[in-house]
Amino acid sequence: MKHNQRRKLIDKIMRWVLRLSIGGATVILLLIVGIITWRGIPGLSWEMISKPPEGSFYLGGGGGVLNAILGSLLLATGATLLASLIAVPVVLYIHTYAGRSRLADWLRLTLDVMWGIPSIVYGAFGFSLMILVGLRASLLAGIVTVAFVALPILARTFDEVLILVPKELRESTLALGTTRFEMLGMLLKQTLPGLLTAVLLAFGRAIGDGAAPMFTAGYTDRLPGGLTQPVATLPLSIFFQLSAPFKEVQTRAYASALILTAIILLISFLAQYTSRRLGRNVIR
Amino acid sequence: MEHSLAAHNLNVWYGQQHALKGITIDLPIRQITAIIGPSGCGKSTFLKSLNRLLELNEIVRIDGEVLLDGENIYAPGTDVTDVRTRIGMLAQKPFPLPMSIYDNVAYGMKIHGMHNGHVADNVEKSLRAVGLWDEVADRLKAPATGLSGGQQQRLCLARAIAVEPEILLCDESTASLDPIAAQGIESLLLELRGDYTLVIVTHNIAQARRLADYVMFMWLGELVEHGPASEFFANPKAKLTQDYLARRIG
Repeated sequence: MKHNQRRKLIDKIMRWVLRLSIGGATVILLLIVGIITWRGIPGLSWEMISKPPEGSFYLGGGGGVLNAILGSLLLATGATLLASLIAVPVVLYIHTYAGRSRLADWLRLTLDVMWGIPSIVYGAFGFSLMILVGLRASLLAGIVTVAFVALPILARTFDEVLILVPKELRESTLALGTTRFEMLGMLLKQTLPGLLTAVLLAFGRAIGDGAAPMFTAGYTDRLPGGLTQPVATLPLSIFFQLSAPFKEVQTRAYASALILTAIILLISFLAQYTSRRLGRNVIR
Repeated sequence: MEHSLAAHNLNVWYGQQHALKGITIDLPIRQITAIIGPSGCGKSTFLKSLNRLLELNEIVRIDGEVLLDGENIYAPGTDVTDVRTRIGMLAQKPFPLPMSIYDNVAYGMKIHGMHNGHVADNVEKSLRAVGLWDEVADRLKAPATGLSGGQQQRLCLARAIAVEPEILLCDESTASLDPIAAQGIESLLLELRGDYTLVIVTHNIAQARRLADYVMFMWLGELVEHGPASEFFANPKAKLTQDYLARRIG
């Protein structure tokens, strides 16, 4: 009797501890979104999202951050695409041909180490790479460097999704007389929602990264002009505005942060929606 | 031409564990062969060695021959997709592919290019053969996961026979189903006898009595005894078989 009372008490306490952690996490998220909304809304205007900065923008002059919005979108999209082009075949190879081999272990270890490397290191690496090939700060250099940041996230997340695929899917497909490559198509069908999540996570990291593009993509007040031209990014734009000694410029930094958050939220919702539609047939 | 399936001195190891010990047998054609024996005796291993599904396991080592029409399917240069097209499989758990009901059946036909422009007709034919057509005709485009366990298993059977195999392997295919659904699958297997060579693995001696024309009894990786079902059950020769059928062991 006493023993059972204790079990139930522990259950009750643990339930509250878990609820508290959920509450804590929610409060922190709400605080972040709340503060940037509260401080950013006054700086938000149509001009902010439709115009590049004018000459005196960082001193409180007119213009907006369209340069950084477009730059960030281009950079993150390019980097995520490039990372996907490398990561998806690597991961699919592991799961169709390499199996539980030492090559697979080694690939996973490499990706895990890559995940842990701070993006400033990638920035420095990208910078030396640029010097080596004679490329100057540009959208292209930024895409390549940020792709390194996004690659391990995309690859390992997709890898984990594929690990969860029941072995019966492979067996059922191969038992029909499919080739390994055709089985790979079936794996993709089953994991498409998971792949989308992986791509989204990588995109989020890419668009939010400030250190890697700082060295490699440069910064400009102009709108993106091509792969070989430097581009502005939102994190850097926020940094420059926050560093300005003017109240209204700092307010606009929060507005820019709000725009960045809104972009990420919008893409999350879109991904959720598509993932649900794509996942209609997925075996759970 | 009539097909044939046989194993000759087949040995399988999982790492150090010797899972199949020198199995040699000629499987009777267009009949149901039931493989019985206790858990871990190598029933499923033997079954999966017949369509080379066993080699998905990374630590497996296979020695000996499985002869399909007299040709060793483990010989270098054998087209494994061809082997698996001729030898279909129904798994233990119903596992539809992540597609619609229709596409589950159409998939195999499409990859093998055997539809001749009659995919829809063949899908219907296969679904009718497993008695599923009337239940799903109005929702062919719906996800296969929406079906019940028994329906899913019949769908898997339809998927398997849609590619017109000659041999069908069933790995405890009723084990995860409720009694009524299991009965449905059993009667389907009985209907398929004559058109296909069926090899089924079962835990259930009563099921083997109901279905089998021929029985293989396995024990710790060895083929202890095999023979026509009537003879096997009426007059088992080996002491192990007698003890197993009397449920003194296993």
